[in-house]
Amino acid sequence: MSGAEALLELQELDLQLSEARAPAAVARLRKLGFVPAEPAALERARQRLLAAADRRWIQHYERALHRYGRGVVGVRERVCLGCFVTLPTSAAPGAGESLTLCESCGRILYWR
Amino acid sequence: MTSVAVPSVLDTSLFLQDLKLKKKESVLHELVCAAQGVRVVRDADLLHDTLVRRERWCSSAIGKGVAVPHARSLGVLIPRTIVGRSLRGVDWGAADGLAVQLVLLVLSPSESSPDVHLDLVARAIAITRLQRNRQRLLDADGAAALADVLREAGA
Repeated sequence: MSGAEALLELQELDLQLSEARAPAAVARLRKLGFVPAEPAALERARQRLLAAADRRWIQHYERALHRYGRGVVGVRERVCLGCFVTLPTSAAPGAGESLTLCESCGRILYWR
Repeated sequence: MTSVAVPSVLDTSLFLQDLKLKKKESVLHELVCAAQGVRVVRDADLLHDTLVRRERWCSSAIGKGVAVPHARSLGVLIPRTIVGRSLRGVDWGAADGLAVQLVLLVLSPSESSPDVHLDLVARAIAITRLQRNRQRLLDADGAAALADVLREAGA
């Protein structure tokens, strides 16, 4: 797994963790018929992904996650799906890369 | 595998009428690939890994032959429900021990709110609460029949 892939997995895991840590969300899942486990295994997986993720992005990721609840957001038609600013053409990633930083909100942009 | 776009009130569903694979991870992959084929998914591998991890944390089998796997994911472009049917059943590790024949995969983009996503999940589950609806989904012979069930169930 590449550092960028680990970062994307980390974002996915953090979305799941936010649900697992929220008593209201867990209660709603139980009411719907699911049986969620304790989040301990997810916490351990997070530590592994944090160690594997690209160091260049971790600081930006953690800052955006803490501030907005999501560190990585998608891009659609050159719009950041975090702050909805239209991105300049120059914001697109280089060949073989899929991540850049939104200069407006500081979230990491996933361009795929 | 046959997949048909369903013009239901959701105007969003896909119906895989005969899931071929037997393991839940493989079935999830089959469903995710179908969703990618209609541009619901931007990153199938990422979404599949997310769904599999989610299964380990919280099994999506809710009993009576139904599973409702779901995820808010960076790998999803637009909210969508995908219905899959396995005629011979899939071992999903359900508490009641029954093989899963109906899989309703509920997908939302990561920017959706958790409550809105869980509303979609609740709606999918509500469709399958009644035995009559489950049987109609099992008997549905195409997209139109599925759309009828969804419409009548208030989806």
